Amino acid sequence: MTTTSPPTDPVALRAAYLERLAASDEPGAVAVALGALDAGVDAETVLLDVVAGAQREVGDLWAAGEWTVVQEHVATHISERVVAAVAQRAPAPASSALGKVAVACLDGEWHGLPARLLAEVLARHGWAVEFLGASVPAAQLATHLHRAGPDVVAISSSLPSRLPAARRMVEACHATGTPVLAGGAAFGEDGRWARAVGADGWAPDGRAAAAMLAADPDGPWFADEAATATGTPGDVPAREEQAVLHARRAELVRHVAAALRPETAGGPVGTVPDELADDLGHLVDFLAAAVFVDDPGLFDGFVRWVGTVTIPDGLRTGEVAAALDALAAALADSPRTVRLLRSAPGAHGGQPATVG
Amino acid sequence: MEGRHGAPTREAAEAAAARAPATTPAPGLAAPPPDGGPGLLDGLEEGVVVCDRAGVVRAANPAARALLPALRVGEVVDVARCEVLARAVHDRDAPASFETVVVHPEGERHLRGRRGPVLGPAPPPPPEPRDGDTTWYLRDVTGEHARTDTLLAAQERAAFLAEAGRALHGVLHLDRTARRVVALAVPRLAAGVTLVVRHDDTLTWACAELGGGRPRLGHAEATDLARVPRLAAALTGEGAGTGDPFLAGDLATLTGLEAPAGGVRALAVPTTGVVDALVVLAGPRSAGPDTGDALAVAEEDVLTSYVARAGAALAAAALHEEQAHLGAVLQESLAASRLPATPGIAWGAAYRPARETMRVGGDFYEVVDGSERSAFLLGDVCGKGIEAAVLSGRVRQSWHALRLLEDRPGRLLPLLNTALLDAVATRAESPRFATMVLGDARPLGDGTVVLRLATGGHPPPLVLRASGEVEAVPVSGMLVGGLREARFGEAEVLLGPGDTCLLYSDGVVEARGAGDFFGEERLAETLPRCAGTPAAVLCEHLEQTVVSWLDGHDHDDIAMLAVQAPPHAAGVPPKE
Repeated sequence: MTTTSPPTDPVALRAAYLERLAASDEPGAVAVALGALDAGVDAETVLLDVVAGAQREVGDLWAAGEWTVVQEHVATHISERVVAAVAQRAPAPASSALGKVAVACLDGEWHGLPARLLAEVLARHGWAVEFLGASVPAAQLATHLHRAGPDVVAISSSLPSRLPAARRMVEACHATGTPVLAGGAAFGEDGRWARAVGADGWAPDGRAAAAMLAADPDGPWFADEAATATGTPGDVPAREEQAVLHARRAELVRHVAAALRPETAGGPVGTVPDELADDLGHLVDFLAAAVFVDDPGLFDGFVRWVGTVTIPDGLRTGEVAAALDALAAALADSPRTVRLLRSAPGAHGGQPATVG
Repeated sequence: MEGRHGAPTREAAEAAAARAPATTPAPGLAAPPPDGGPGLLDGLEEGVVVCDRAGVVRAANPAARALLPALRVGEVVDVARCEVLARAVHDRDAPASFETVVVHPEGERHLRGRRGPVLGPAPPPPPEPRDGDTTWYLRDVTGEHARTDTLLAAQERAAFLAEAGRALHGVLHLDRTARRVVALAVPRLAAGVTLVVRHDDTLTWACAELGGGRPRLGHAEATDLARVPRLAAALTGEGAGTGDPFLAGDLATLTGLEAPAGGVRALAVPTTGVVDALVVLAGPRSAGPDTGDALAVAEEDVLTSYVARAGAALAAAALHEEQAHLGAVLQESLAASRLPATPGIAWGAAYRPARETMRVGGDFYEVVDGSERSAFLLGDVCGKGIEAAVLSGRVRQSWHALRLLEDRPGRLLPLLNTALLDAVATRAESPRFATMVLGDARPLGDGTVVLRLATGGHPPPLVLRASGEVEAVPVSGMLVGGLREARFGEAEVLLGPGDTCLLYSDGVVEARGAGDFFGEERLAETLPRCAGTPAAVLCEHLEQTVVSWLDGHDHDDIAMLAVQAPPHAAGVPPKE
């Protein structure tokens, strides 16, 4: 492989690929990927450095409010097609006797592409891979575990708000003695929350996952075994407060919406704009996840991010403090939750917000 | 202080210390100080009470005072509120020992009392204690230790079996169970353990060794047993042949692993006949059942209990595997079909059954590619779960067959109706209704696609124009499978480039979240956001919207099928 001519340089390829995604040009995107393969770039590089890399940028564009959810969906759809096309043009070799891996996205995690890419990469490293798809309910995973008996389950999620679901999945796996390797941004930049939900290891990306599984197919992969062995994910108060937040989610969204925009109070559900309801729902979800893993950093990160993105009708920067207050008032019975709310950036009595 | 009151003789103290706590009556006790102050007695863990003939307490050590806080030196023993003790003191013929329960500030105390020797009138003078003398109390704890060791060993055995039960119980996969059975047994039961299981035509073996890392696992055909007759005999003989000294050699032949060097022991695994299983232990901790020693008996008991648990787990896994296979075959045949790649038409679909573990349900869709027209079907049979899925399979198969004979949707639907009614009539079933939209799509070559639709009892399809406008196709009809003379509606729709026709089941609009139903209006409001997106993205986006609306609540089967005339050229979807 050479990096002198543009078509084989991963960075240039990624830029060209992202351009096709931005134009919603599926044939063009496929052509970029297959062209790279034909020029001698290996499939793993195309999948991880070009496709996954470009998708990360798409995610950033969405997070920055520059792309809509629908645009992001279209880009992801195109990338799914590209992965299929790459798999067809450069098929993975027949699996060796390494073992079976089940790759699944957390329940409620709709970004199936990173998991799909992981499945492709692991297949290329000799594993027999079963890809269970996006948003896999824990019960479905359990059924699969009993039927297929994989050696390892790799779970993927990009949203930390799905962490409570991760615990259910990890428990389902551990009940059958199957180790769990977690991956994706949901588990924190250093995978710290993977430990908190009881996973046996965390990989930052597909390459790392393949290397970790090659070095030790059984796990646990966390260096200090004791911490994972004894760590019951989410102690009892954490679980209880998280459960309260989950059960009261819809009520809390309405309550906070009414506090922020009194004109929506008392009306039917539909009077709260979808965008505001979505933002507040995410706020509650992230709060629940932060309570669950007992890490204020998780919630703070989300609160900062909410402050940077302006979606019409969504939660406005100036409303964040009031929203946190309204939540704290409604959740006075949950001391941990209230502590998180009070210490969040921008909260009254908390750290100053980093974004105006 | 120490010199102020009498103390036992050295001999008596030694004797008392040596036999304590069995005998500590302090025979050399002279007139104790009225306050029962410190002395040798004070160090005893056993409470000592000395009473005179009248029952007045002459002395009591701290242990006695702690047990009976009401006890007062110089007062009658009755004030101590221990009736049995008082009776024993007053009545010299009362039994020399008793057990009773006394009320105590820290809760009830169980008390055992024992009469000591009656003290003589003139006890021998005790040696004068000197400043700096130290005192030692000795106690024989051999029995206590033996009891503790036995208890700990019994606890360890119970804990091992409980842990094994827990670890084996959750696994319902035969290979994993086999691997666990050997992994858990090493090193607790033996230095090496091999398990051989025959289930139908397959032999599974698993082997774990001390320090050998991950248990190894392999498969062989049941016919391979012919090569290893001794193993075959032991495996199927329900215990017979397990004592064969050459078994280890056969085992090595089967697994291709080295035969264990030392002594081996084989046990048949009780599996209630579901599978045949045999464990072979290398360097077993329990040599056999015929040793008299209590510890050996207990060890043998652990081994047989473990093997019984392993047998139950293997049987459960084997049965589950059969059921799961049955389920998987059924699921595979009933699962939502793959969408074809049709030139000039873009398809999209989403499917979410109510019972998500089943992955099948009463909603269904089918798409079949044709040279000129591509036929499609989306529907919903009443009910959910496997019963509904089986019925939906009947509908889909009937449709596949009938559409070869009649491709006009308006005629095909009545045929399907009759076929369903006839099928029900032959089976003494109560009528099962279905609702559906069926039709075909024909690309016209100019980028447009013409649809012919027929519907019975189903929500009307929606058309999302490339511009973002949403129209309901005005078509309705009666339930399918209800009446022979049912009437169904027909419609024709022309899709321009980028236009999409969405068929959906009522699970979409009847999805009930924390508040309200998702509803037709919300569906119609959500659609324009997807204008211009590929059909697959539209369905995915809708599914996601509906599932987040559900917010974890139960739902009916959800199915969507989108037929799209692809946009002319790649274009940026409109930004919100």
